[in-house]
Amino acid sequence: MSEEKRAREETSRDTADHCIACTCCIANCPVTEATKEFAGPKLVGPAHSRMTFAEGDVEKTLDYCSNCKNCEITCPSGVAVATMNMLQRGEYYRHHKHSQRDDMLAHGERMGKLVRALPLGATFANLGMKIGQALGMFSAVGITNKRDMPAYAPQSFMERFLHIKQKPSDKKVVFFPGCYINQNDPEVGVAFVEVMQKNGYEVLVDEAFVCCGSPMVVTGYLDEAHDHAHTNVERILDWKKKGIPVVACCTSCSLMLKAEYHELFGEKEMHEAAENVYDAFEFLEGLMEKGELLEAFKPVDGKYAYHSPCHLRAQGIGLPALEILNKIPGYQIENLAAGCCGLSGNYGFKADKYEVSMKVGEKLFKRVEELAPDKVVCDCGTCRMQIAHGTKKPVCHPIQILAKAYK
Amino acid sequence: MEKATVVVVGGGATGVGILRDLAMRGADVLLIEKGDLVNGASSRYHGLLHSGGRYAVKDQEAAKECIEENTILRKIGHSCVEPIGGMFVRLKSDPEAYEADWVEGCRTSGIEATPLTLEEAFRMEPRLSKNVVSAYAVPDAAIDGFRMSCQNVLSAAKYGGRTKTYTELVKIYQKNGEVTGIRVRNTLTGEEYDIECSILVNAAGGWCEKVAQLAGLNVPVQPDKGTLIAFNQRLANHVVNRLHKSSDGDIFVPHGSITILGTTSMSIDDPEDTSTHPDEVEKLLSIGAETFEDLRSYRILRVFAGSRPLYKQPGAEGRGASRGFVILDHAEEGLAGMMTIVGGKFTTYRLMAERITDMICEKLSIHEKCRTAEEPLVEEVSTEAKARAKKYFPSFGLELAATRLGPEAFDRVTKVLAENPEKRELICECENITRAEFEEVAGREECHIINDIRRRTRLGMGTCQGNFCAIRAAGAFYETGKLEAKDSLAQLKGFLQGRWKGIEPILMGRNVRETEMTRALYELSFNIDGGKLE
Repeated sequence: MSEEKRAREETSRDTADHCIACTCCIANCPVTEATKEFAGPKLVGPAHSRMTFAEGDVEKTLDYCSNCKNCEITCPSGVAVATMNMLQRGEYYRHHKHSQRDDMLAHGERMGKLVRALPLGATFANLGMKIGQALGMFSAVGITNKRDMPAYAPQSFMERFLHIKQKPSDKKVVFFPGCYINQNDPEVGVAFVEVMQKNGYEVLVDEAFVCCGSPMVVTGYLDEAHDHAHTNVERILDWKKKGIPVVACCTSCSLMLKAEYHELFGEKEMHEAAENVYDAFEFLEGLMEKGELLEAFKPVDGKYAYHSPCHLRAQGIGLPALEILNKIPGYQIENLAAGCCGLSGNYGFKADKYEVSMKVGEKLFKRVEELAPDKVVCDCGTCRMQIAHGTKKPVCHPIQILAKAYK
Repeated sequence: MEKATVVVVGGGATGVGILRDLAMRGADVLLIEKGDLVNGASSRYHGLLHSGGRYAVKDQEAAKECIEENTILRKIGHSCVEPIGGMFVRLKSDPEAYEADWVEGCRTSGIEATPLTLEEAFRMEPRLSKNVVSAYAVPDAAIDGFRMSCQNVLSAAKYGGRTKTYTELVKIYQKNGEVTGIRVRNTLTGEEYDIECSILVNAAGGWCEKVAQLAGLNVPVQPDKGTLIAFNQRLANHVVNRLHKSSDGDIFVPHGSITILGTTSMSIDDPEDTSTHPDEVEKLLSIGAETFEDLRSYRILRVFAGSRPLYKQPGAEGRGASRGFVILDHAEEGLAGMMTIVGGKFTTYRLMAERITDMICEKLSIHEKCRTAEEPLVEEVSTEAKARAKKYFPSFGLELAATRLGPEAFDRVTKVLAENPEKRELICECENITRAEFEEVAGREECHIINDIRRRTRLGMGTCQGNFCAIRAAGAFYETGKLEAKDSLAQLKGFLQGRWKGIEPILMGRNVRETEMTRALYELSFNIDGGKLE
């Protein structure tokens, strides 16, 4: 078998053999830097993978891996370190019971559906969460009460979308909103539709899409995430057949759809589906390269700072949002380049990980403080939450800036 | 003057086997070894505990011995044998006629060879070439040569058997046609002294000829070099043998965290010659890739070589030469008390020891029967002790440490780990060795250099080949007080040099990157070669 063919057929677990123990992953692991409790990516992933012959065991500190993927971004040998950790975590929970906390943190989508089914559900749910926090109900199950749970928007994106009047077009994209934009931050989705309309695209949605599965993977609900992957991949392939790309504004969702499905579950269809999925700014940058992006921007005032999410950097597509925003006349935005924010999806919501999460974010918070921007711009919803929590600065998605520049 | 009734020369498998057997039967016995235990052929081999399948056609007697000893070692060697089972696979290109002979050979030798469907074979060994046309399961196993020998020595010590490593035989004293004693040299200090003995057993393997020469005797031994490749991971779940006439590069043994592929066969002049060459690597890889087609994409850790001590019979060389063993009583040549045992296989070391021990005991009028086939080499660490220790050991590290250390040392290490959390630090990350275990082993009388600790723990034998543990080991060894600060650099360099020896012939692909990292760490950052500032 040729080297190339083998590389294609290699599973994430197989990549452990490429490790030369150079330790770059440890040097760039934000969790290892924040706490001595974590044995570090090299040991937990590739090193232990050689030792499983000795006994059935699990790394005691596996729980500390936040799946931020900086190990994989850094690894000069192409080892799927974080993916191996998530596979181990999934394997662990095949034989161990999940906590109520993990169940709650992994299944935001289920909770969201419940909330939407009730009249004034969002209002009461938000109130309930405040009361719950105050009464220590979250800490009782192991969720930190030191930060707010994400509040539900009065109307979900999917509800809002029904009322958006679009100019029909032959050029179409399917929007994958993801749980956070749909339930908590629908403005981002609305801005996305506006931007695409300006560029002559009609935005479709697909009711059959389900949560990408990222919160499940990180809490060890691997089989459930696998089911979600099947559902979404089938839909993506269907859109692919029609020649309509699927676009996401959440970089963790897009990483999941584009790369993690295939890395975790290794099915050929997942790889094929991935070719039809784009991060929103990756898609827009593609348009720009073809000269098809509407570049008639109105100036946008203010001083902005940009945080690039780890899951965007893991996609290896550069920082397309920054490229495009820099085209806006007079727009001042600086790349914070301060590493991981520390929240990592639901990681920083866990009571026992809150301190680690805030410690990881320290560098970023400090950089924000130094730059003193009016607003922090970031493609990832959970990063935005962490930045708002750690710096008290207003935050937004870059698509919202672009929508503003088109007004 | 120091005294022992019997002195055994050579700390290989045969020597430690004799030591244990004699000690168990109550003889006053001392083993001397010029280096560390098993630094010759007994550790420089596959790590295969033969089922005998390999000899089923050519040498039925050897095949029978193998399966009997295999069964015994599985029983007595729980802490050094991995009973993983083996497989013989015939490829499309291998002659079909041999298969029938082999099946018949296994049957008559008493080796259980169970035919496997191809589906079963591929399920058991997913990486196997699709050119496999037939497969059989056999009771092969993996055996750790380091541990086996240490455990023999430990067991012998319980019965009063003594061992001196780094002790070289320099002279044999004889009087009136009888051995009266020997002169030895401590190879670390250079100090020489005499030991009185009445029986001298030459079990020096490839060095038997040289030892015999000291007594003016001639024991022609042909060292036959075999080169082997160690891969970074377990490529197979079982021992995988080619079902054809025994040849080079046709056995894979998954062994601990690695897989060993071998071997070649080449007559050499000097048993000390353990050099390897890229051509040998290439040869092994191209043959090995017939069984595992992706072989070249797996990472090689290192290459090593050892020489089989073949007793020279006229006209037979290499694979044609006998793999059987010979016992020579030199009384017949006029030197009473001197015996030589040479040849044989690792798998049959215990049997060889039993045979010569029977002869020695007759001379000494000892009537005790051999018990080495019944009594386990070492006691096992109890389930309760492991359960208590679990939380202090690194993940995946408990069972390995338990089999390496044995009950008493395991308890001591557990206590240290429990009381001093900082001793849970991993000195060797690739093979999971804690500082507590390192210190326990480093503190033993027989550990003089870092490589002695390596052989007893697997320190530095994993993925990074010493890059990260060499510096820690040198520091930790110094801290035990056994090493002076001024010597720690030389120890560090010696250890790294040993690692480099195995890497040099495979300096390609990822290994180049790793080696450059070694150089960057040790030569640039630490400047261990000590440049001068102008």
